[in-house]
Amino acid sequence: MSVVLSAEKLVKTFPGVRALDEATLTVTAGSVHALLGENGAGKSTLIKILTGVYRPDGGQLRLPGPDGELRAVQLGNPQDAQRAGIGVVHQERNLIPAFSVAENICLQHLPRRAGLLDRAALRTEARRCLDLLDLDLDPDLPVSRLSVAQLQLVEIAKALSADSTVLLLDEPTASLTNDEADRLYGIVRRLSERGHATVLVSHKLEEVFAVADTVTVLRDGRSVAEAEPLADHSREEIVDLMVGRAYQQVHLAARTVAADVEPALALDAVATTAGHHDVSLAVRPGEIVGLYGLVGAGRSELAKALLGLDQITAGEVRVHGRPARIRDVGDALHRYRIGYVTENRKEEGLFLDQTVARNTAVTVWRKLARLGLVRDRSERLLVDEYADRLGIRLASPDQHAGQLSGGNQQKVSLAKWLAADCDVLIIDEPTVGIDVRTKAAFHELIAGLAARGMAILLISSDLPEMVTLADRIAVMREFAIVGELDNDHDYDRMSQSVIRFIHDGQGVVA
Amino acid sequence: MKTETAPEAPAVPPAAEPRPPARALPVWANPRLGLLIVIAVLVVLFSSLTPAFLDPRLTLAPLQADISVYVVVGLAQLAVLSLGHMNMAVGRMAALSTFAMGLAYDRLGVPLLVGLLVGLAVGAGIGALAGLLIAKTGVNSFVVTLALDFGLLGLVTILYTWATGGVSFAVQPSGLSALRFDTFADYCMGEVCGPRIPLVVPIAVAAALGVGLLFRHARLGREILMTGSNTVAAELSGIPTHRRVVAAHALSGLLAALAGFLLAANNGAFSANIGESFLLPSFLAPVLGGTLLAGGAVSVLGTALGATLTQVIYKGLNLLQFSLEELKLYIGLVLLAALSLDRLRAVLAERRAVSSS
Repeated sequence: MSVVLSAEKLVKTFPGVRALDEATLTVTAGSVHALLGENGAGKSTLIKILTGVYRPDGGQLRLPGPDGELRAVQLGNPQDAQRAGIGVVHQERNLIPAFSVAENICLQHLPRRAGLLDRAALRTEARRCLDLLDLDLDPDLPVSRLSVAQLQLVEIAKALSADSTVLLLDEPTASLTNDEADRLYGIVRRLSERGHATVLVSHKLEEVFAVADTVTVLRDGRSVAEAEPLADHSREEIVDLMVGRAYQQVHLAARTVAADVEPALALDAVATTAGHHDVSLAVRPGEIVGLYGLVGAGRSELAKALLGLDQITAGEVRVHGRPARIRDVGDALHRYRIGYVTENRKEEGLFLDQTVARNTAVTVWRKLARLGLVRDRSERLLVDEYADRLGIRLASPDQHAGQLSGGNQQKVSLAKWLAADCDVLIIDEPTVGIDVRTKAAFHELIAGLAARGMAILLISSDLPEMVTLADRIAVMREFAIVGELDNDHDYDRMSQSVIRFIHDGQGVVA
Repeated sequence: MKTETAPEAPAVPPAAEPRPPARALPVWANPRLGLLIVIAVLVVLFSSLTPAFLDPRLTLAPLQADISVYVVVGLAQLAVLSLGHMNMAVGRMAALSTFAMGLAYDRLGVPLLVGLLVGLAVGAGIGALAGLLIAKTGVNSFVVTLALDFGLLGLVTILYTWATGGVSFAVQPSGLSALRFDTFADYCMGEVCGPRIPLVVPIAVAAALGVGLLFRHARLGREILMTGSNTVAAELSGIPTHRRVVAAHALSGLLAALAGFLLAANNGAFSANIGESFLLPSFLAPVLGGTLLAGGAVSVLGTALGATLTQVIYKGLNLLQFSLEELKLYIGLVLLAALSLDRLRAVLAERRAVSSS
């Protein structure tokens, strides 16, 4: 089969992170090519290069010219990628709700006559794209009236509208039901029969095995499997390729958890307005309990519901044995000494245009204030202490948080909870987008906190991280806990059990 | 139960990441300094064109009184700019509050200070109401306060008609004329008299110091700024963001009321047209002084200098006998020029900081 897209040894670095390290992707016509990897493996960066959002720092991208010969190309912007025949459906929606289906599909190249919109041509063109998908949808319907599944299909029609030869689908079924996903994959198969190539990014391995024929696996920015036939691999092999056997060795503080002590945080058959049901968990002082699951399984939502951002509708939350009603984050912090290190440090964790000093002290002002006033000196002392303890590298405490590297930013967003003297810490995806060395330092830090008696609920999609840190691993799927494992730190056994829980809802207790 | 000695925090290996450069901007990049220079140049220019500009009694004392009013007006807007919000009703909040003051003096015969406190409470209350509407509904502050402004415009007119049958109270509480006409030069201890500074000036200075202290050192002010910087992060850091929004708008209303009082003192009358001239200057002063419309950062000193600049321009052109229309035209042009220069200076400073790092 002819190659329709060839990315060779792509390199892309960001401050502090080498996101792509000579990654290679070769896609042939008519194939459904799965692009797999853990969070942070470089999938999104690769996709952004293929769609002209980023420019690679090294390597080259080759696409077939009119004669079918591969030529090196530079994609300067998303329009270039579209003209080169690469269509993409991103994870997040990119449709304009008030516009019609037809207008959205043809948005990039609206047909015009005498300078005005040619409605007839618009409808014909939209009809053609919808027909490619065998989709019976009124082109004049405003997009705001469509279901989630229909939106997804319109996105695909939009991606195909520019005569795309390669279609990139990034987690296309994340918000679809199983039936809708089946329908979508039926369409993908039909497109491949017509010669379109599809690159599929998905965390759902069962779907990947059902629809894809070829696989490329990325790990730490490198291709550890390059365009291999998927039939040659078992699911376990693919997981091993994704997470890697030789995960980082770190020296963690030794700790033991007293079994008879009252849990610092306990959930008993909790249901929430976010959609959780029957969630039971217990974290004792000095213990790290992992909450593992796929993106969208409801883990961060559980943390936020606990903190009062959603309501708890059934069950009971106990803090140090006493029933707790947490109204908001301030309540959690000041009354129950629970802190939440958010997943999304730039949007939710930090004040990027404020100084590191303020970012660290924001949770402590209440304590530092005398007659409502905070002295800069007391704030400064606090920042110095935590910068020292966490190894935050600062030019000055008056530096803005936005100027720090990702790893240092993450440390600052942790520092404010340590400064606030929490004894329960919910840590959400602490090492996403952080390079391997800083990641190891973070693991040592978290283990050190537990060793000093803090109860830690660790939310992570990074299985090696879980196996390294957690004492027990609870697995969440579709807003419910589907299993809990004692971690014996044997990576192979743990990963198999966990993955079985996720995919089948049942596992082998190790 | 097992006991264990807790190990110390693990030593974190020093990361090899390069130290981010500290961005030290050159001295001339400080917007406050730029404003000060522009003000100085204009004062020299105006006094060379017309010596009357330096007349202490006819020009300088009234100028200081005007500046005092507009510093407080600027602070009223700054209080919500800290959140990235706007208060389009700043003038009408002042009008409603001064009505309350006038009513208290007229009907209850209260002393000057008590009437002022009544007005401040009304201003804070109406501001808190605006803040509550914004926090609870999530509707943009611009829209909420614009609607409020429109409503208050009608209300103030109706109230004045009801209470006075006209557009102003005839009452003169004792002490008002001293605030209006006296300077510290009128108060002497033996041979030594005070400087020729109107009595309203220290009120504005105190307000500026208070607001500066609030945003710089008070937990409340800092939490308001953090809310303005990133509301989601503020909420997830345990800051009661709704209450902070209400507090900032209440402060805005309170300062609007104070500005209304100072203007009433300068005019010698509590009348319905107080606050009509507040809206544009309320934005000009903080923005000229380097306060961001986006929220999260404020400059009180900059606001004071910004208010001074606009009033100096106004007074100078007025003395040079420009007509009212010309005055508006030139004031607009001068402000545009000042803002452009300010922007140019910031861009140059940024470039220099980048190229030298």
